[in-house]
Amino acid sequence: MNEKPFRPGGVNPALVTPFAKDQSVDEEAFRALIRHVLDDVDGLVPCGTTGEFNYLTPEENQRLVQVAVEEARGKPVIAGTGAAGTKQAVTLARNAQEAGATACLIVCPYFLHPSDKGIYQHYYEIARALPNMPIILYNIPQVVDAYLPRRVVEDLADIPSIVGIKDSSGNLTYTMEILEYAGDRINVLIGHDEVVLNALAGGVHGMILASAQVYPEVWQQVMAAVRSGDLDTARALQRRVQKLSRIFCRYGGGVAVKQALKMMGVDAGRPRSPLKSVGGALIHEDRAEIQLELEKLGKVQVPDIQFQVPGGPLAGRFEGVGLDAETIHQEGMLLGSGSAGEGVEWVQIDLLCGAKKGPMGEAWAYQLTYPRHGFEALTTILEPNLTVRPSTLIVPANELKDLRQANMIYGPVQNAVAKALVTKLDEGVIPETAMQADVLFVQAAVHPQALDRRVLGRNAYAATCAAIDSAFAEGR
Amino acid sequence: MTPNDGSKKVDWFKGIFPALVTPFTADDQVDEAVYRELIRFVLPHVNGVVPCGTTGEFSSMTLEEKRQAIEVCLDEVDGRVPVLAGTGCQSTRETVALTRWAKDAGATGALVVAPYFLKPAFNEVFDHYKQVNQVGLPLVLYNIPQCAGTHYKWWTAEGMGLAFDNVVGMKDSSGDMPFFMAALEKLRGTIGLFCGHDEVAGLAMLAGADGAILASANIIPDIWQEIYRAAKDGDLEYVRQRHKDIQILTRLVVRKGGPQAAKESLRMMGIADMSNVRLPMIQGGEFEREDYEDMRSQLENLGKIGSQVVTLGGKEVEYTLPADLPPQFGDLSLCVGEGFAGPPFSEIAHIDLLLGWKDGPVGRALERARNEPRPGHELAIISERPLTMLVPTVTVRGAKARQLVYEEAASGVNLALEHAIAHHNLPEALLDDICLIANVFVHPAASIRRRVMINNYKAMRGAIRKALEGRPTLRELVAEKESARHPFRYAP
Repeated sequence: MNEKPFRPGGVNPALVTPFAKDQSVDEEAFRALIRHVLDDVDGLVPCGTTGEFNYLTPEENQRLVQVAVEEARGKPVIAGTGAAGTKQAVTLARNAQEAGATACLIVCPYFLHPSDKGIYQHYYEIARALPNMPIILYNIPQVVDAYLPRRVVEDLADIPSIVGIKDSSGNLTYTMEILEYAGDRINVLIGHDEVVLNALAGGVHGMILASAQVYPEVWQQVMAAVRSGDLDTARALQRRVQKLSRIFCRYGGGVAVKQALKMMGVDAGRPRSPLKSVGGALIHEDRAEIQLELEKLGKVQVPDIQFQVPGGPLAGRFEGVGLDAETIHQEGMLLGSGSAGEGVEWVQIDLLCGAKKGPMGEAWAYQLTYPRHGFEALTTILEPNLTVRPSTLIVPANELKDLRQANMIYGPVQNAVAKALVTKLDEGVIPETAMQADVLFVQAAVHPQALDRRVLGRNAYAATCAAIDSAFAEGR
Repeated sequence: MTPNDGSKKVDWFKGIFPALVTPFTADDQVDEAVYRELIRFVLPHVNGVVPCGTTGEFSSMTLEEKRQAIEVCLDEVDGRVPVLAGTGCQSTRETVALTRWAKDAGATGALVVAPYFLKPAFNEVFDHYKQVNQVGLPLVLYNIPQCAGTHYKWWTAEGMGLAFDNVVGMKDSSGDMPFFMAALEKLRGTIGLFCGHDEVAGLAMLAGADGAILASANIIPDIWQEIYRAAKDGDLEYVRQRHKDIQILTRLVVRKGGPQAAKESLRMMGIADMSNVRLPMIQGGEFEREDYEDMRSQLENLGKIGSQVVTLGGKEVEYTLPADLPPQFGDLSLCVGEGFAGPPFSEIAHIDLLLGWKDGPVGRALERARNEPRPGHELAIISERPLTMLVPTVTVRGAKARQLVYEEAASGVNLALEHAIAHHNLPEALLDDICLIANVFVHPAASIRRRVMINNYKAMRGAIRKALEGRPTLRELVAEKESARHPFRYAP
């Protein structure tokens, strides 16, 4: 058995690299980030995939490693020094060693898809060039487009300076195979935030994670719980961060982490081009979801929200769309209301149905010509290209302040209202003649902090059915 | 050693063979009458037919139903063209049994798909065909990795093509041209080679394929026959031109649910009782509703859907209407049509369209909106005839977004109006009296200008038709009430 010079383990954040507006490395922001995270971690990983290593010059790479070493207060610094070519990878590893790094993390060579032999020789040459630099292998097929072959890992584990492997694949069959064939000689670190608990239970020695700079303390607790055999606690902890971990892993990586840090008051700068801060791999909708999850974790303050339920006589609730009680009564429009659920998933639906030829038709058409900011009306669809008839506009009862609130109305509520309308058409509660003759407004009151789309949808469906029943069956 | 003692090619295995769709009755039986109608429709243009192929949904049919379909097909064709029956099953035993039955029933040959689902190794695939070969019916090997999950390698194709005395051909539906070229090199002159991928069939025939078995040959057997003959005559220019005419149609068929695409097309063209696909394939599934609109435009362009005189807005007007839609229209006070088109995600178009009389609710709303300023939501009159107003759904921020909405989306909407008028989807006689309001969504992250334009064109064409025709119908809505997948219903 080889004596390994360094045994990687514990919780290690794959640090993002903050870039300034002019795309330069923001060293001060990088230092601030390390200070923010240092107490809760066992080591630092600058210039990993999350750190956009592939956009850094060799000089920038070395400088970042040096800064990490300066800030690390003696904790291990595992420098990302991977490159597509072996020569560059040797240079980066040498630079990192000179900068004082404890070990280097070297990604499977990418782009040209080297053979197993080529991959072996890549690591072998780096180890030969720098015999005193501990090396951690790095499997991340999501970006490399290939797995680090198990048989290569099995052989590389014999090299004294190769001390570990980071597996970011999330494919636990691979992780288990590596533990089986190399776990006796090198440490295995999980690199996929969604399966940390599973990997720890399977026997990995630690982790390098993007999310370990957002909630490192959670990962420390998961690790402690697994070590003490308290799987219930570990499961509950993993579950708490599951969605956020999924967003980090699948929707933007470092880009998403930077947004999260920003929301928490840690300025982690921008990504480097061609990545976009938002609107690229991280879409606006998912950024809104990050905010919500951080609120749940207590990482950001929950805004104080006033929620007013539309009340008073039903006929008086449609002035926002330009129809007053008098007109509604004069024209003999149908009114109905229903509510369902409890807490923040409680939903109230107010419904108005009238002939499209009269004032109703005009008010209806006008809503689509003049979208009111925060109250934008959308036609009701089962899904795109499957519009419900009679044509129905959903109008939020309360002003939508952000994308996440909009997502709740224009997703689950819209779908539930559509389904309720079609169900009631099918049952004959809404007469088929209404499909051509009438149009409807559905005003939806949804709590701005509604969380659970499924429950919300179920409540919106029940509330809409009740509103339709009262308007069509009882309201005539 | 000679690799092969002469060619095993047969005279009948060349030209255009439609992979016939299988019509089903309302109670889900094979619909003989419509099946015969389909065969009569394609027969004048084709060199052979394939019952129970992939497009025929063989994998969703019982053994008895497959026999029934093949029998009906043999009877209707009555020896005029070869009948190449799909007899491939998952197990060897069943495949041998059905192939033996087809031989006795009088099929010309059997199209035998590579055994699917459980992925046998190549030597297992080889032995599978070896046993089917012993039946004695001429066989066509069938490579369709998209469905079968296994892909022939050129050496397995070569091995099986040469080894079995009854193998007279191979159909390759992979669309993998390097594979097809290798197969041509290894096997041409020994067995016949057919292309089964509609998007590249012309190319394959120019390269030396003996013919093609195609889903889209249900719809446009005449055009494929022209292409086949031109390819045989070496008329490169003609093949290219004609292929271009049908490229969108073939792409829809190959990538967006071939059986349903073919069935809906045939309904639009006049086989009005053609059914939908069998579950778990579903209308509005792989062949999405936007694809229906797209296909309808393609069939209009190719002259496959005609116009008729209908009453619309109190006037007798010419209107291009698919054969399966009733020529009934609602009044024009307020017509609502929705259109959605993509991909890509960031460049999707979504249009809520209002169409109605200028002196009705739509006209009044338009006039009212015209006189009110609204920063970020500037309205644009983008056409005077018909009077058309463009309204951005979300607040427009920045120069890029402005350009995408007011230039790209607007020109897509305008082009749709132009084409709708030219193709009699928007009657000329009404243009002075109606107006339209197009509420247009352009995603803030959009960047491909051309796709924003095209998607808005598609969304608008669909929206105009749906507004006038009152689609979707109650029947469609009820059918999809449970299965509809609203994309924003779910958490990330």
